[in-house]
Amino acid sequence: MDTIVCLKQVVDPELPQWDFAIDPATKRQVRMGKPLVISTYDENALELALQLKEKTGGKVTALTLGPQGEVKDAVRLALAMGADEAVVIDDPQSPQRLAADKASVLAAAIKRIGRFDLVLTGCESADWVERAMAPFLAEALGAACVTFISRAESRDGALSVRRTSEEGFQTVDVRLPAVLSVTSDEAIRPRLPKVKDIMAAMRKPVANWTRADLGAEDAGGAKGVEVKDVSIPERTTKVEFLEGEPAEQAEALVARLRALKIL
Amino acid sequence: MVQGLARDFATREILPRAAHLDHTGEFPKDLIQKAADLGLMGMTVPEQYGGAGMDPVSYVIAQEEFARASAGVQAIITVNNSLVCDPIVAFGSESQKRRYLPGLSSGKDLGCYCLTEPSSGSDAMSLRTSARLDGDAWVLNGTKTFVTNGVEATICIVYARSAPDPGAKGISAFIVEKQFPGIRVGKVEKKLGIKCSSTAEIILDSCRAPKENLLGEPGMGGRIALATLDGGRLGIAAQAVGIARAALEDSAAFARERRQFGQTIGEFQAIQWALADMATRIDAARLLMYRAAYLRRQGRPYTKEASMAKLFASEAAMWASHKAVQIHGGYGYIQDYAPERYFRDAKITEIYEGTSEIQRVVISRHVLGAR
Repeated sequence: MDTIVCLKQVVDPELPQWDFAIDPATKRQVRMGKPLVISTYDENALELALQLKEKTGGKVTALTLGPQGEVKDAVRLALAMGADEAVVIDDPQSPQRLAADKASVLAAAIKRIGRFDLVLTGCESADWVERAMAPFLAEALGAACVTFISRAESRDGALSVRRTSEEGFQTVDVRLPAVLSVTSDEAIRPRLPKVKDIMAAMRKPVANWTRADLGAEDAGGAKGVEVKDVSIPERTTKVEFLEGEPAEQAEALVARLRALKIL
Repeated sequence: MVQGLARDFATREILPRAAHLDHTGEFPKDLIQKAADLGLMGMTVPEQYGGAGMDPVSYVIAQEEFARASAGVQAIITVNNSLVCDPIVAFGSESQKRRYLPGLSSGKDLGCYCLTEPSSGSDAMSLRTSARLDGDAWVLNGTKTFVTNGVEATICIVYARSAPDPGAKGISAFIVEKQFPGIRVGKVEKKLGIKCSSTAEIILDSCRAPKENLLGEPGMGGRIALATLDGGRLGIAAQAVGIARAALEDSAAFARERRQFGQTIGEFQAIQWALADMATRIDAARLLMYRAAYLRRQGRPYTKEASMAKLFASEAAMWASHKAVQIHGGYGYIQDYAPERYFRDAKITEIYEGTSEIQRVVISRHVLGAR
């Protein structure tokens, strides 16, 4: 099974809240000087791709789009974890673009890479949480699409996936080629690469393309979408005291927790 | 990327268990095996001997990450790497490298370093353990003390006097397997900090080590010990920087949250200055450590620089962890919070692999041109 995994580099979401800042000019998160990591669910997608390769054979290609200097670490890490090939599309403006525009560039790159059975993405990015990349890619590639999958199993050349939905799980048989967006599961905990694999990854070749190489014109942003404003939600802490006897307090507490949809 | 791996390993595997390991003193055998599986037990060992082939700068960067999570776990890892693998790589014969390095790198074996004796600490070259050639074996007699990893180690680097010459001249180094006859673990020490790493006596009672287990040439032991300690001091500098960083990170987080007199304590200048001084000393310590590691990578002398890094970093760690306890107030004094552990762990960095006083002796000899 030949798989292409799309990896996005984001500012480490584990950074403390006070390290999060928005650039008022670009209306985007400040990236300068912040540690970048592969977006959480994208790393899960990579792990799932590697597990599928271990079971069924084939090749895993890591694909990323962004300012070359920033994103090369993402594909190096993917190579260290076990990806066979890596492609970087250099786009210094990438952090300012939204999903539809980036999907058109990634789709062009996937077409240029050529044959594939699967394209995997994270179900959402850790910064913008648009949840749109997989459907956009599937549309552009004319492939099937299943979102929020937590497991995948190859059966007689077809693929059976477990999709997480609000009601529980759905098992979906998918025709290939397909684009899948991956959520989390206890079975897809991203592996830590070995030191010797990290050293080897530094020596592996990485293909470097530009938007121009792919014929993807710079439309200056996603068509029809304009980000008017972004802000950091204010966190407030409130304490409520429930009056009455213990039994009454317990009853009031349950009612309050239900109202807050915690229970 | 090596830093990323070390940080992920430390955050995912070490940090969640750090407090428990400190409270129980339990040796984290599974954790050390996981570290070995990732290539972290033979980090600078060349790949042909089963190691990761990493350079000294990457090595200290990774060690800082482990120590940030648990100085005790890092002590186990750095002793195996710096004090056991390093001298075998540098001074071992081809057959010794092939025999011992793959096991030490893969986690099959664990190493310890037997230099200190009850009556020779800072004055290490006055050691009394004896080595006598008897047919095809060296016979070793003596007691080694304060041996990190002493309980669990399977491979020991032992220094003993093989000739009557005083001082460093008569000392030789040996690779001694714990399974050799006549070697046993003596008293296991109870310590202030780094509790999950064992510290034990190693007793050599007519221990017979094959003739070919001499490391280097007869009489080279003093040189091997000092060269090994240069590298070891980088590991301790990294340990100290890691502890100090943990102290700063916890203190900064606490200062942002803790409110007194209607504001966070981070809004008081007394706390701001303490944090600023902690951050500055930590950066200075880290840069001294990087410089020494860089010189080592270049194959240039780095004895003075390693001592400077170890001296400054260990004193910065003691100072920063003391500040962290104070910033946390009562919470800094109880075991539910980590600063009291940092405070206890930091102290050893001023003592082992050369006390601060010995580092000053080493540095001043270079300054005065009296080496």
